[in-house]
Amino acid sequence: MNYSAAVFASLALLLLLAFAWLALSGTRGKAEVVRDGRQDGDYPHISHLPQIKQALLNSDFTYLTGRGYPALAKRIRKERRRIALSYLACLRIEFEKLLQLARMVAVMSPNVAVAQEIQGLQLNLEFSYRYYLIYFRLVSGVAPLEAIGSLSNLVSGLTIRMETAMSELGERAALGAELLPHNGGGLDAGG
Amino acid sequence: MKLPLLVEIPWAASFIVQLALCGILVAFGHFRRLPFFTAYVCLNVGQGLLLYVVFRRYGESSHAAFLAGWWSEAITLLARVFATVEILHLVLSAYRGIWGLAWRLLAGTSAVVTVCLVLASWGNPSQALMNADRGFNLIFATALISCLALIRYYLIRVENAYKVLLAGFCFYACVKILLNTVLYDFLYHQRVRYPFTWQMLVVASYLIVLIVWSAALLRPLPEKKKQQSLPTSMYGRISPEINLQLQAINRQLMNFFKIEEPQQ
Repeated sequence: MNYSAAVFASLALLLLLAFAWLALSGTRGKAEVVRDGRQDGDYPHISHLPQIKQALLNSDFTYLTGRGYPALAKRIRKERRRIALSYLACLRIEFEKLLQLARMVAVMSPNVAVAQEIQGLQLNLEFSYRYYLIYFRLVSGVAPLEAIGSLSNLVSGLTIRMETAMSELGERAALGAELLPHNGGGLDAGG
Repeated sequence: MKLPLLVEIPWAASFIVQLALCGILVAFGHFRRLPFFTAYVCLNVGQGLLLYVVFRRYGESSHAAFLAGWWSEAITLLARVFATVEILHLVLSAYRGIWGLAWRLLAGTSAVVTVCLVLASWGNPSQALMNADRGFNLIFATALISCLALIRYYLIRVENAYKVLLAGFCFYACVKILLNTVLYDFLYHQRVRYPFTWQMLVVASYLIVLIVWSAALLRPLPEKKKQQSLPTSMYGRISPEINLQLQAINRQLMNFFKIEEPQQ
């Protein structure tokens, strides 16, 4: 098979795969996230934030190492990593809620600015890239504990900002609450 | 000249199913909502009849068959574009903003893929028609899949009938690119087998699409729903704010790494 034929055949296969993915992958789950976010608007991890922050303090870890409990220190390190990962997951959920709110507003709007939508998509891609980068560093244990501690501050700040933003946007988009009889969409969502 | 049985059977079957589909479009009144799609199916019936007569009379390798084949193909391809845009418009007409985005995406994707194809096919006039047909299907499938991705991204609900019609177009275009590419490369030099194998497989894949379309159109099409919309100014106010928030989260994630690096 010559070079051009191989390229065309690969493109056709890629398009078929993309089409199959669009046709078969579900989107209802995402829609539920939006609904949950807009209706109750609560963030379960907020209420546990002080405890989580305390659990992430570096002083506990150094104290245990200094007192000669390496096994316990190791276990705590693992637990801290797990906490950091669940924080990261919360951050992702909140990012997605905000992103889907943006999509809903765009769907309900008679005019949509291409630049704004491209920016939203770009931010989504950027977030995914950074999220997985941090995720794999945390999972593999490359990220130092100080960084995990700073993640705690990051998430706490963001959570509060997001809550404020969501409630503000939720009020503004209150009209939209009745305007969306659908939103369980996608290719797989029809009849 | 008699066509091989393996070509005649799927051809006859597709002709019968196309006639049945025309009947369904008329009997259920779908032709009112889908005039371009109906025209596309009718043109395909006409193309099938014309080619059958020409092939039997002059042979499939004759100049008359060549002209009839490519001209009728060009007309039906154009009709397919109109039919697809019509269905996409039916799906997205309730969402004016997203429809505006979709047609820009359709035009942009088509333009980019066209430029790439022209550059890729430059200096190869002997295969111009084959490249044009394959290129058209590639443009068509890319633009359509981009639109379907857009629909999915915005979680827009697509009614079952329209979903099946769009999926059929997409599947058929992808299969044609594959057949035009792979079969041409493997069988073209064995001239006896290539045209018949190509026709048999193309007609068989189209037959599958026709059967699925007919089954989907056996029910009434969904009523057009008027989608309520937000005031125009609201998007202008909210969307940049959300993007700023998203940007802030990304910046924070970026800073997360910047913080840790000096400490390592």
